[in-house]
Amino acid sequence: MTDWKSKQNHDGGWAYSRGCSWTEPTVFALVAQSAVNGHAGQSFTEGLQFLRSMAGPDGGFRPQPGVTESTWVTSVVTLLPREALGEQRYDRAIEWLKGQTGRESGWRYKLRQRFAGSKDEFPDGWPWYPGAAAWVIPTSLGILAFERALRNLGAASGLRQRIDAGREFLLSRMCADGGWNHGSSKALGRDGDSYPETTGIALLALKGLKSAQIERAKAAARKHLAGSSNAEGVAWLRMALAVHGEPVQRGAETPCRTTLDLALMEIASADRNPLL
Amino acid sequence: MQTKHLTRRAALKTGLAGVALAGCGRAIRQAPSAPPVISNISIAKASGYTMDVYDTVYRMLVEHRLNVRGKRVVLKPNLVEFDAQTAINTHPMVVHAAYEAFVKLGAADVRIAEGPGHRRGTLDLADAAGYFSTFARFEDSFTDLNTDSVTKRAIPRSVTKLGSLYLPNTVLDCDLLVSMPKMKTHHWAGATLAMKNLFGVVPGGVYGWPKNVLHWAGIAESIVDLHHLFPRQFAIVDGIVGMEGNGPIQGNPKAAGVLVAGSDVVGVDATCCRIMGLNPARIEYLQIARGPGNLGESAFHQIGDNLSSVKTNFAVMDVWKEIRLS
Repeated sequence: MTDWKSKQNHDGGWAYSRGCSWTEPTVFALVAQSAVNGHAGQSFTEGLQFLRSMAGPDGGFRPQPGVTESTWVTSVVTLLPREALGEQRYDRAIEWLKGQTGRESGWRYKLRQRFAGSKDEFPDGWPWYPGAAAWVIPTSLGILAFERALRNLGAASGLRQRIDAGREFLLSRMCADGGWNHGSSKALGRDGDSYPETTGIALLALKGLKSAQIERAKAAARKHLAGSSNAEGVAWLRMALAVHGEPVQRGAETPCRTTLDLALMEIASADRNPLL
Repeated sequence: MQTKHLTRRAALKTGLAGVALAGCGRAIRQAPSAPPVISNISIAKASGYTMDVYDTVYRMLVEHRLNVRGKRVVLKPNLVEFDAQTAINTHPMVVHAAYEAFVKLGAADVRIAEGPGHRRGTLDLADAAGYFSTFARFEDSFTDLNTDSVTKRAIPRSVTKLGSLYLPNTVLDCDLLVSMPKMKTHHWAGATLAMKNLFGVVPGGVYGWPKNVLHWAGIAESIVDLHHLFPRQFAIVDGIVGMEGNGPIQGNPKAAGVLVAGSDVVGVDATCCRIMGLNPARIEYLQIARGPGNLGESAFHQIGDNLSSVKTNFAVMDVWKEIRLS
């Protein structure tokens, strides 16, 4: 079990490896702690205080103290329990996320594509950074965040439509090998190869779907899991296969090089995984 | 703007990948900066990744009379993805040779720093690419630029609408940033060399993987903006084994047997293009940075080995055939 307190910065957050605190590793360090200890403890409280300081005036969350804009990490923050974050803060974050889509979903871009003869559809995913295109990881995190929010805020919250569109986006970006890379399944007509971490998180976000495409994705996930030594990838792959009915026994020790690696591996190994 | 036209047409053909990567930003063009006093560009034959590389790199730095005594130097290799069958990343021996050379020349601190654009596990990627087995205690000398602390900087003489960018403090605070790319063709930019390599300093923790705000702002224009942000640069290009065809990831290894170096990074890139059999005046970011009339062979003073003795044509994708030197 990780001694999270010893790795915690004075401001209550955690770095990716060393240096300043970032929102993403802080959230996953807290999720890892809560998987083992619940929401108690000074370290957890200080971590929450850091996260609250990352809330922007627009309702979204900043990725680290040196950045003023809200970004993709907002969906990561809302993976925490609503009561832990504070109901008002949580609800505003979800509202901020509702307003975020990839730039290709905007009417201006769609119109240009139509004029250029393209008939491609552009389902709403989530970008890493406001104003950019949607990509696999932020869209997967957005889906996971909205799935949780749906339990908190109910069906009337209008979240289901974005979850469905996000899933449509992910399925449209699947690589020829059945997995996912960052989001460019083809470049100049050539197929791109999938990665472990993106395959894992995308498959996790497609929880509950059953189709031939999902079976191919599961096969790709199993293949990545057998050959990957990347802790972030292994953790997401184990979680993904578990929610698709294929729990994976803990295998050989995977080296964890960062705080994020440690947290995700601890979460994936927890008996009661808060993310599933 | 032939190459620009080709890029965007190709992007439209490729559908979704093109949506995100080619972008459709409207750049603010400015007149290129005046060419500097004719600069020295070193060319050195290097037949393979052997111990000779250490002497060659040291000699190239001495040729340029770099005064790095007491200075903080950051070496920025190009790490993208790892595939044992090809040559995507800057070879660790070249980076290690530069590391040792700068230490020998009296640098107070030499760090290796990179922020890959696709893969989040930077250290895993560096390990797979051989950096952990080449450097003793590699992690102690390395900064992941994707997750470093950042500061927002206004872009001087910006040719995009970005205006400013968050950048890692490790590269903002150094005295000399050494761009150490692999010599490769690139399916969106034509060629990826020392200037394009600076995409890796843009922090993924803020902008994501990939750093898509740069694509929307215009790839060529963003390359030039990043160049303007770092006035104290040096470049060492690993062309011992480069990549041709569908680079920067899916191309084929190309043994060019050369290292190219210099303080004038635009000149280094233009020289690399000539070595690769590409016309630098048709590479859009070089045009913007220097103007097509200032990229000819006479614009630079080549030292070391003769350019003609190392010239080897790199294959390019059909959409880029117009950039070949006739």
